[in-house]
Amino acid sequence: MLFKIMLSYIIGYVRVIVEGYYIERFVNICTNNKIIIWNLKRDKDVNLYLNVGIKDFKKIIKIAKKTKCKISIIKKKGIPFIINKYRKRKFFIFLLILLIILLGVSSNFIWNVEIKEENNNELIGIEQDLKEVGLKSGIAKYKINIKDVINKINLKRNDIAWMGIELKGTNAIVKIVKADEKPEIISDDEYCNIVSDKAGVITKIIAQDGTAQVKEGDTVNKGTILISGWIEGKYTGIRYVHSKGEIQAKVWHTKNKTVNLNQKIKEKTGNVQNSYKIKINNFEINLLKRVSKFKFYDTINEEKRLKIFSDFYLPISIIKTTYEEENYTEKTYTQEEAKKLVIKELEEELENEIEIKENILNKNINLYEKDNQIEIYVTYEVLENIGTKEKIVF
Amino acid sequence: MRKEINKTSKKIERLLELPQEVYSNGPRVVINSFEEVLIENYKGILEYEEFIVKISTYIGIININGYNLNLETMTNDDIKITGKIEGINLERTID
Repeated sequence: MLFKIMLSYIIGYVRVIVEGYYIERFVNICTNNKIIIWNLKRDKDVNLYLNVGIKDFKKIIKIAKKTKCKISIIKKKGIPFIINKYRKRKFFIFLLILLIILLGVSSNFIWNVEIKEENNNELIGIEQDLKEVGLKSGIAKYKINIKDVINKINLKRNDIAWMGIELKGTNAIVKIVKADEKPEIISDDEYCNIVSDKAGVITKIIAQDGTAQVKEGDTVNKGTILISGWIEGKYTGIRYVHSKGEIQAKVWHTKNKTVNLNQKIKEKTGNVQNSYKIKINNFEINLLKRVSKFKFYDTINEEKRLKIFSDFYLPISIIKTTYEEENYTEKTYTQEEAKKLVIKELEEELENEIEIKENILNKNINLYEKDNQIEIYVTYEVLENIGTKEKIVF
Repeated sequence: MRKEINKTSKKIERLLELPQEVYSNGPRVVINSFEEVLIENYKGILEYEEFIVKISTYIGIININGYNLNLETMTNDDIKITGKIEGINLERTID
């Protein structure tokens, strides 16, 4: 019963005032005819207010005539009445329907391509490749064949280990796992040289197979052959082998930086100015047309795509540009201060680069002073194993 | 004769342990927190004013006194009365 009442809130109901002396009879007849009436309220006079569904209203009029009651409508509620109200505003209805259709149609397109890379390994140019293959914003969903796209991308690029595409609403989520770059493996049957991959001074060289081409204390550049893959015998002639060996060398890691003693330091004053743009596909509309009032400022652009629900992206985005005011203050460092700062910075950078810290042999710091500038070189001398295998090409 | 039939039928019903609502045509009155009365199995309304509702049932009349009495939902077999209820009287018409 309650359900029927709830339904009539949608289908439509009227609040009616009944006036007369035989109100009890009227109500009894209504219930006997299985007419649902609810929220009956008796006034102090002879009036009775009640709600009744639209369909039953005609029946009620007949009953009222029988019982000699007056009947009149106070309120009309429900969807049929709302529609009736807007019947004259045809254009409004037309636009409303158009909007609904547009929403429905646009939900069949992809408006946002999101690329998620595992471990934040950036794949350069993947967006371009996806576009060329056909996965771009504004394409109809049914045109996308996920398997086909993945195959094409895999053919194009060889640095992808796994790839998955998920279509969620108007959003295409591309998940990519980047493949590790593998060094070229040369099998034991093939002949190879060992070639230096860094510049340095050899401290130790042990050739297990092949002939050593350099001695201890020799300076080598990148690309010089350290152990060659052939053995010259007096009687056997030249014999080619798969060279093996261990080479240790002193390698220098150098970093340099020039510092101005007079520096301008940026400071944010905290004053912020916002301006907004609306971007529809590639068409931009400026809402506030003016240049920032600040003298020095930093601009930060933030793009926000509009979406309905969690996945339904629309091809409209709002670009918020924030201007943050900045102040420049001049500061002069003394030489000592500048040195300390820069040397610390450079040392940290270098130590990140070097894998085994026990192998650091020496530290060198060189300074070159010019007018108001100091150029600082920090050099680390490190013992490292060098040498990579390179195939001998005949 | 009729009384005897009634008695035997009552005995059978007691044996079967049926709930009373199923076999008797008496009303069922539920009062919720002094502000709502639900009456099932009623016949019709005898009188309805702001301060009194008289409801006839198959075995008698139920009078409900109070203020601002509304008949919230009326269907074929149950009726819900809301308002500030002061008292409920019963009048027997059948012994």
